[in-house]
Amino acid sequence: MKLKRDISEHNIISVNDVTKTYLGGTFTAVDNVSLNIKEGEIVAFVGPSGCGKTTVMRMVAGLETPTTGGIQVSGHDVQGPGPDRGMIFQAYTSFPWLTARQNVEYGMKILGVPAAERRERAQILLEEVHLIAAADKYPAELSGGMKQRVAIARTLAQKPEVLLMDEPFGALDAQVRWEMQEMMVEIMDVEKKTVIMVTHDIQEAIYMADRIVFYTRTPGRIKEDVYMDFKKGYRFTSKEDLLSQPGYLEIEKQMFAWMREEIQLQAA
Amino acid sequence: MSSVQGKEMSDTSIKAGNPELTKTRDKPKKLQLLVTLSGKQTMTYGLIGALVFFGLWEVAHLLTAEEAKRFLPSPLSVVQALITLIQEKDYMADVGISAYRIFGSFFIACAIAVPLGILMGCFAPIRALINPVISGARYLPAASFIPLLLVWFGPTDSQKMALLVLGVVFFLIALILDNTEAVAKELIEAAQTMGASRREIVINVVGRAASPAIMDSMRNMIAVAYTYLVIAEIVAAQDGIGAVMMRAGRFLKVDVIMAGILTIGIMGVLTDIVFRVTAHYAFPWNRKRKG
Repeated sequence: MKLKRDISEHNIISVNDVTKTYLGGTFTAVDNVSLNIKEGEIVAFVGPSGCGKTTVMRMVAGLETPTTGGIQVSGHDVQGPGPDRGMIFQAYTSFPWLTARQNVEYGMKILGVPAAERRERAQILLEEVHLIAAADKYPAELSGGMKQRVAIARTLAQKPEVLLMDEPFGALDAQVRWEMQEMMVEIMDVEKKTVIMVTHDIQEAIYMADRIVFYTRTPGRIKEDVYMDFKKGYRFTSKEDLLSQPGYLEIEKQMFAWMREEIQLQAA
Repeated sequence: MSSVQGKEMSDTSIKAGNPELTKTRDKPKKLQLLVTLSGKQTMTYGLIGALVFFGLWEVAHLLTAEEAKRFLPSPLSVVQALITLIQEKDYMADVGISAYRIFGSFFIACAIAVPLGILMGCFAPIRALINPVISGARYLPAASFIPLLLVWFGPTDSQKMALLVLGVVFFLIALILDNTEAVAKELIEAAQTMGASRREIVINVVGRAASPAIMDSMRNMIAVAYTYLVIAEIVAAQDGIGAVMMRAGRFLKVDVIMAGILTIGIMGVLTDIVFRVTAHYAFPWNRKRKG
């Protein structure tokens, strides 16, 4: 099934000339990166390992501070982490002492959402991520994919403007990863968030994203910034549908070529 | 003759050809790696172990020369001495005062160590400020504080409890600091991105996440508190299990000394059970799943 994507002309995230150095300036992780992201866009950050793509995302989250340059989200300077920018980590971060349902309610509790509304919204989200049957189980009783769905529902429950996903499915096996990717596309059709997603998985990036920002090896710069024009403004609820789109193979080949270039330069 | 030899040879060759098979067949099943026991089996093994211990003790007693037997009384006469103590010497009052010293002082040690350990684990400046002193203090033998504590407090309950606190508090802080630092960084970052306050994160994220490990540290350290109990009650004490044992020593009543040791052992086992049961019900989310 094809879902029409809904992207506004309005920039919600602006990254302006951001550089991040470590070790007293001797190591440059991110070198002069600028980009604007429009409201409703799903953007994938792709690039070789350790290229600084995660650092850029963590700076948008406010978990790290740019050495120079600035980041605005919804017109405000990013000063630190906040619930307007929900983040999903590769490591499982659902709180082990709370059940799936209590986890989903946790973020809303922090924001002071009244109990009745919390319960109602948690129920809706648990249905959206297909977790109703396991709603009252502790994370230790859940599979990796289910734990990740708890984290996604918990983040969405706070109604963030921006969703930041740091290799969200990286720890999952191939089948579960594929199920999660398709589920995310469906959820984004309902929740309509702006998404930045860091991934190593080229196929995942092409499948989920409207736009791919490709980073060079360290120090991370933007190598290419490409829109998935071959999707003609749609997102697909099944991967087969994506693979049968004309133009898919060309973009995938291109991505692999860029990746090989960067890796070989790194090795040289 | 030759045919018998041939048969033997073929037998060994089969075994040699299938070393894997032979190994698994010959080894007792329960000594395999990763094999778990049922609760009942665990109890049975524990009981057997205890019986063997008391059996060996009884045998050692029987083998001891008649005139030396009073220095190694039989297990039964130690139990007999324990019963006599309880019935005629108001021993339960001594047990009570010892228990009060242990639990009272351990409560104080926890009241200091838990918040301090968690704060040190959460905040680098607090850790940097306190850690050098704490680390050094762990190497000081608590018993060396006895003269000082006697000067400060006199031969009082406070002096004994202060010794017990000093004996465990520095280790407890170090362990709880470790427990806190072991909390996954991503849990904290996830809470930060959800807008949780610093206070909320320290108490309800880091504190909660570390709580089963902290409980384990406490269970391990109360055992150390027991070891300091006797030291505390040997010096300038009129009451408590250690004082009873010390008096018995003066009259070479070995059965009473051993009854004291037995009492501490029983109290220790009970304390351990209380901690385990509490942890089981307090942290249902942390129960080990049965394979």
